[in-house]
Amino acid sequence: MIGFFICQCGTNISATVDTGKVAAAAAAMRGVAVAESIQYTCSDPGQATIAEAIRGKRLDRVVIAACSPRMHEATFRRALERAGLNPFMLEMVNIREQCSWIHSDASEATRKATDLARKAVARVRHHTPLLARKTAAVRRALVIGGGIAGIQAALDIAAAGIPVTMVERSPSIGGNMARLDKTFPTLDCSSCILAPLMVEVKQHENIELLVNSEVDDVHGYAGNFEVDIRRKSTCVDEEKCTGCMICQDKCPARAPDDFNAGLGSSKAISIAFPQAVPLIASLRKEHCRRFNGNKCRLCQKLCPAGAIDYGQEEAVLRRSFGAIVAATGYDHYDWKASYPTYGMGMYPDVVTSLQYERLLSASGPTGGRIRRPSDGAEPRQVVFVSCVGSRDESVGRPQCCSVGCMYTAKQAVLTREHIPDSQAYVFYMDMRAGGKDYEEFARRAQTRYGTLFIRGRVGKIFPRRGKLVVMGTDTLAGDQVEIEADLVVLATGLDASAGAGELARKLNIACDRNGFMTEEHPKLRPVEAASAGVFLAGACQGPKDIPATVAHAGAAAAKVIGMLARGELEASPMVAAVTESRCAGCFKCRGVCPFGAVEKARLPDGRPVARVIGSVCRGCGICNVACPPGAISLNGFTDKELIAEIVEVLKPDVGYRTLDFG
Amino acid sequence: MTEPTTRIIGFLCNWCSYAGADMAGMSRMRQPAGVRIIRVPCSGRVDPLLVLRAFQEGADGVLVSGCHPGDCHYGSGNYFARRRLELLKRMLPALGINPERFHYTRVSATEGARWAEVVSAITERVKNANDND
Amino acid sequence: MSVYSYFPGCSLKSGATEYDRSFRLVADCFGIGLDELEDWNCCGASPAPHHWGGDLGILLPARNLHIAGASHDGIVAPCAGCFNRLKYAQHELSRNDDLRRRTGQALGQPVHYQTDVLNLVQLLNREIDPEDLARRARGRLSGMTLGTYYGCVLVRPPQIVRYDDPANPVKMEPLLKAAGATIPYFPFKTECCGSYMGLARKEIVLRASRRIIEVALECGVDALVTVCPLCYQNLDLRQRQINDVYGTDYHLPVLYLTQALGLALGFSPEELGIEAHAVNRPPSAL
Repeated sequence: MIGFFICQCGTNISATVDTGKVAAAAAAMRGVAVAESIQYTCSDPGQATIAEAIRGKRLDRVVIAACSPRMHEATFRRALERAGLNPFMLEMVNIREQCSWIHSDASEATRKATDLARKAVARVRHHTPLLARKTAAVRRALVIGGGIAGIQAALDIAAAGIPVTMVERSPSIGGNMARLDKTFPTLDCSSCILAPLMVEVKQHENIELLVNSEVDDVHGYAGNFEVDIRRKSTCVDEEKCTGCMICQDKCPARAPDDFNAGLGSSKAISIAFPQAVPLIASLRKEHCRRFNGNKCRLCQKLCPAGAIDYGQEEAVLRRSFGAIVAATGYDHYDWKASYPTYGMGMYPDVVTSLQYERLLSASGPTGGRIRRPSDGAEPRQVVFVSCVGSRDESVGRPQCCSVGCMYTAKQAVLTREHIPDSQAYVFYMDMRAGGKDYEEFARRAQTRYGTLFIRGRVGKIFPRRGKLVVMGTDTLAGDQVEIEADLVVLATGLDASAGAGELARKLNIACDRNGFMTEEHPKLRPVEAASAGVFLAGACQGPKDIPATVAHAGAAAAKVIGMLARGELEASPMVAAVTESRCAGCFKCRGVCPFGAVEKARLPDGRPVARVIGSVCRGCGICNVACPPGAISLNGFTDKELIAEIVEVLKPDVGYRTLDFG
Repeated sequence: MTEPTTRIIGFLCNWCSYAGADMAGMSRMRQPAGVRIIRVPCSGRVDPLLVLRAFQEGADGVLVSGCHPGDCHYGSGNYFARRRLELLKRMLPALGINPERFHYTRVSATEGARWAEVVSAITERVKNANDND
Repeated sequence: MSVYSYFPGCSLKSGATEYDRSFRLVADCFGIGLDELEDWNCCGASPAPHHWGGDLGILLPARNLHIAGASHDGIVAPCAGCFNRLKYAQHELSRNDDLRRRTGQALGQPVHYQTDVLNLVQLLNREIDPEDLARRARGRLSGMTLGTYYGCVLVRPPQIVRYDDPANPVKMEPLLKAAGATIPYFPFKTECCGSYMGLARKEIVLRASRRIIEVALECGVDALVTVCPLCYQNLDLRQRQINDVYGTDYHLPVLYLTQALGLALGFSPEELGIEAHAVNRPPSAL
């Protein structure tokens, strides 16, 4: 006995699909005992109606025509289970995302919905009860990335008693937030709020911290991931190094200062920054004299701890995890190639917003005094250019960076605080100040700190008598403006961090067209990636400010805790199964299986047959197609079920063209 | 009654293309109404015989859509699909089926707009193929 | 030897005869054959077609394209304005069947418009091997800093002319570098010179051109190099007007690309017509 329920979804569906008509059609289909149209199927009363019908009409199968199964299949399976049915006796019909929302002609949409209903009713007749398998889950989580997102997620997970391994590719955790001077809208010091958390990560008994490390490869599935972690060679024994910095002081080889965004310079062997966690040195071979044909071994000679080991080799660790959190953050967009009219990086006094943070920061290359890079002079006129590589179709970047307006307002405020007789100008497109207290802050930048906001884009930056002329449009005044600046700060847009795409492929998750990792649902599953057991935290999913990142990371941690708290996971029973009597023992299935889920077994009579390891099978169905005698079959997507769909959905109906074989 | 609908069976993988079609819906992208989507876990589950069955049952066209290379949820399912379905496409003329009625494409979970374009373009091509047969 | 249909346009036959002369000298040096288009007419850039309206702005350049036909390796238009009009006509004809039909009617036969249209920089880059040029350069440009000034219509609109980066064109650079000059980044290389506003609103041209000269000097440039006769006019012939209005004392030579290359190849400023320029005080290295 089949129950058919069609959802009006308020008017989302019923505005285009005549749900009453579809229900009437379904009522006439073979085996359908009850057919009803419900205002909101997923609501409490909606689910109650279904449960009542299951009990009252002794239904053994249910078809629900509503939104996408990707949205609510799990909801309705639970509803079936509560009403005493096997949850896999459900079939959903997608008449919202794939019907009512994409068609405007009501009769056409209704006809399509009826076709889809017929196919679902036919399919559900072939359903068999399936039992969810329980598999043990490894109680350990992997957090990839040691910025504020990774730190927050790791601390939250570890606080719940679940061990965490944090992998960070650079020599220190802290990420971009460690580089910021102060944060909007409260102007509290970024390091002061971050540093204690960094130390807590290092000291937490439930957190294993692996810096200078990258995820090499990921195998397995939710609950049982096997991850290879590559520990890069830094020529420094982490256990021995005390962070005394003698090596850095004496090292004769200069190297770029990554932490200071390329301003100033560092040494080939160095500690990333004074507040680095862990506080250990690392050696960059590409800049070291010893690794470039010289015999220098100064750092080894001078190290009081004997921590320098030039022969240190890369190592690959294999670890098991139940869940993975990607927290790889963002990089600033490299603007130079796309904005030739801003000088392509040839003017030293055109800096990026991140470089300006370092100029503002007390731990930066200028000790917190704003000095322009060309001649070290203190700037009087500072011009900020918003949206460089954001909201600019002409360079193929339509997206908003979501933080540029606010950090620019903050930097303008700090400019006046550092240099009271300075003047800041901001070229902006729109002021986007949507957060709590943000608008008030941006307003204060104007009123109290005298920042001049000019609405318009900058066309050109060029030199004139030792200054930089910023030429732009004031779209409110309808005029061209030229400002002679001592220093120009570009608010560059945000990209997913370098290598995020590669990591996403290893994790088997998708990235959007801007390179950010994709969540499973934009509203309801904002931290889940499309692969079960993989979660997203912070700006790897899309640009975010610090409060949003912390909230997002906390949410990801909560999901991990929820998943691993019970120590076992329910695995989908929609896996392949072998009918041994039909199996010819050719093992084509074993050859095509991407997961090694098929093993060779022997029947008591000695005949070799294939056997599926249920906990390893992930239910792709590739074997189902490869099997010559049709012995292996994917639960929930059997040939019978799919053929029933094809046959029923194509049943001739009035108005369809039919093939004319004449 | 308006012009008869061109009916196309679409086999869509759950992780990329089906989600892409959902995305098109969430973005309210209007599409021709003739496509009937059958959800499969992976394009690698699409047996060429299922495609032929659809033609046998009177489908005007068949469309299989999976993940982009490297994006397959199962690692390699879309490669299996490609190999099998390319072969099928070459065999179709021998079976008396205009190969323009069969299409294999790739749409990711975020490419709602692309899915809408694919539906429109392929509906048009199938319609032309059938008009010319 | 490659031979090109040569479309001089009105400028190279009147106000910019030195451009024509220096082009022929340089072409000759490298064995580039120039066959002046027979019975050519206005390229369509003059105000008349704009005011006349209708198809005239397409028909005029289309006739030139048609005459060129497939007879040579392409048609070269040294004037940036002419190049732009020919490309524009080609673009419109290729996508508009009806326009093509009307043009055919006007010509009395189906229009032939698909000949390769080249600007001067494109032609020289195609025909001159920079190493060969470097060998033959007599060192007269070495020590000179030249600002490449492309102007607007050589590279814009990009979807029609499809030539070089519209925000930062660089195709002149390799030739001039091979000839021995130093080329700094010149931020105003595509900034508007004021164009034909010189006729109606002279002050606009003076202001725009002044800024170009000012920034060029800021960049340490000894001379500007251009391929557009109108840009040349605004930058060179009006330099004294700029000085009068703004109280400046600019003496920045403006050379056509072929004049600069001609100097490198050993031709005298007189042969190249540089002495006829308003700012004819030769750059120190000449």
